[in-house]
Amino acid sequence: MTTATDAPEGRILGLDNIPLDLPLAGAGSRSLAAFLDYIVLAVVLFVFVVGGSFFAFFARPRGTWWIAFLILGLFLIEYGYFAGTEALTGGRTFGKRTLGLRVVTDSGGRPATGAYLIRNAVRTVDLLVGVPLMALDPKSRRLGDRLAGTLVVHERAEAELDVVLGRVPRSWGAREVAVLESFLLRASDLEPARAEALARELLAVIERDDPTFFDGVARDQDALMVLRTAVARP
Amino acid sequence: MEYVRFVRFRRSLWDDFEERLRSARTARLRHADLETLALRYRQVLHDHALAATRFPGTRVARRLARLAVEGTHTLQHDQGDRVATRFFSQRFPAAVRGLLPWFGVTLSLFLTALAFGFTLGVAQPGVGLGLLGPETVAGLSEGRLWTESLVTTVPPAIASTGIATNNMSVALTGWAGGALFGLGALYVVVLNGFMLGAILAATFHYSLGGRLLEFVSAHGPLEITLILATAAGGLAIGKSLVAAEDRPRAEAVRAASRQALVLLLGCLPWFLVLGIVEAFVSPAPGIPANVKLALGLALEGLFLTLAWNPFFKEA
Repeated sequence: MTTATDAPEGRILGLDNIPLDLPLAGAGSRSLAAFLDYIVLAVVLFVFVVGGSFFAFFARPRGTWWIAFLILGLFLIEYGYFAGTEALTGGRTFGKRTLGLRVVTDSGGRPATGAYLIRNAVRTVDLLVGVPLMALDPKSRRLGDRLAGTLVVHERAEAELDVVLGRVPRSWGAREVAVLESFLLRASDLEPARAEALARELLAVIERDDPTFFDGVARDQDALMVLRTAVARP
Repeated sequence: MEYVRFVRFRRSLWDDFEERLRSARTARLRHADLETLALRYRQVLHDHALAATRFPGTRVARRLARLAVEGTHTLQHDQGDRVATRFFSQRFPAAVRGLLPWFGVTLSLFLTALAFGFTLGVAQPGVGLGLLGPETVAGLSEGRLWTESLVTTVPPAIASTGIATNNMSVALTGWAGGALFGLGALYVVVLNGFMLGAILAATFHYSLGGRLLEFVSAHGPLEITLILATAAGGLAIGKSLVAAEDRPRAEAVRAASRQALVLLLGCLPWFLVLGIVEAFVSPAPGIPANVKLALGLALEGLFLTLAWNPFFKEA
C-alpha cells in the first residue's frame, strides 16, 4: 500500500488505490490528551513512591535492594508509560482513549511495537518542539510521528444512529438526500415547533420536485410524521 | 433513485462487515473468518469509493468511510513485530554493521574531544577543576577521589540502579538528540569526550590519574562504547533528516530510525550490567586493578562479539 504524498491532508490511498480520508487529530486535541496522560503518569509515579514507602515502613525489608527496585521502577514508568500503554491497547493511551484518539500507521493500519517505541523515545524532544511541529504540519505530526511513520486520528463513533430511506423524490441528488437524512436524524433533538416548521418546508420542496411522492400517505397527521412515513415506504 | 437501490442491496453486507469487525477486536479469528473479513473489506472499500463519488455527504457515504478506515486499521498490521524473534542474532548485528561508519564518526569525535579536553586540562588545570566543583577538588587535594564516596555514602544496590538509569538517560538523549538534525547526538559525544579528558587531566594534576583509570577500567570501555553506539544511531537519524539521498525523506527517516532503534534496544540491557559493575566492582578496594581491567576488557569483548555476531548471515 502506498501513501499519496501530494494528496489532501489525511487522504491516503488504500487497497486498489481507493482514497481513504483519515480523520486526523489536530494539535489541540493531541495536546489535551498528552496533558491528561501526564496527569495519569504523575499519579502512577506518586502511587508507586507512596506504595514503596509504605512497603519499607511496614515490611522493613533487609538491605537496600528495594530502593534499587524503586529507582528502576520509576525509570521504567517514566519512559515506558506511553509506549507500553500504546502497544498494549492498540495505540490508545488513557488520554487518547478519553478524547477518542488513536495512533495508526501513515497508511491507516496498526503500528508495530517498534513504531510505538520510536515515537515515544523522542518524547523529551517533542516536549519542546512537538506542538509547533504539529501546528505547522498538515498532518499534525510531531517529531516522533515522523520518525515512526505514524499519525493520530479521531475514532468515529461506532454506533451512529442511522436513517434508512426507503425512497427519495425522483429528481433529488445526493446533496438533497444528505439534507433530508440529516434533518430526520436530528429532528428529535430540535424544539418540536422548529422541527415541525422545517418538516413543512421540506414537504413543500418535495411536493414541488415530485408531486406524486405523497400518494397514498395519510396527510391528517403532523408534517414530521408525514415525512417519515413517506420516505420509509419501499 | 440509485441511492435507495444501492442501500437496499448492499446494506446487509455492510452490517455483516461491521459485525465481523467487532468480533475481530474481541476474539481470535479462524483462517476462514479472516478470509471472509478480508473479502468484505474489499467490497466495503469499493462501495465506499462509489458512495464517496456518487452520494457524497449522505449517511451511507459517511458510514462507509468510517467502515473503510476501521477495516484498514483492523486488517493492516505493520510487520515490524516479526523481527523481535531473531533480534540478537540477526537484527542487532545487522544494525551494528549498517551503522558502523557512524560509529567511526562518533569514536573519532569522542577521541578528538578527549584529547582536546586533556590537553586543555593539562595546560589550564582550572578547566578540569572547574568541572569537578570545589568539594571534589578539596578531596583531590587531600588525595581522595570522588568515586570513593560511591561506596561510603550510597549502598551499592542503590548506586548501581542510579548509575544504570543515569547512563540509559544519557544514551537515550544521544539517540533522541539525533532527531535535532544530529546536533543532540554530537553534543553528547563531544561533551562526554571533553569532560573525560579535562577531568583526567585534573586528576593527573593531583597525581591521582592512575587511580581514576583503575576505577573506570572495569566499566569505562563498554560504557563509552555503548554511548558512542547509541549516539551513532542518533547521527544516522540526523543524516537522514538532512540528506535523504534518492529516497523520499519520510521513508529515509523511518528506515534510519528503525535501524537506530534496534541498536538502542540492543544496547540498553548492557547498561544494567554496567550499573552493577560500576557500583560493586569499580570502587571496591579489595579487587586488584588487573582484575578490574580484565573484567572491563572481557565485557567489551563480549559485547563486541555479540554485536558483530561472527555467524551473522545477510538475509
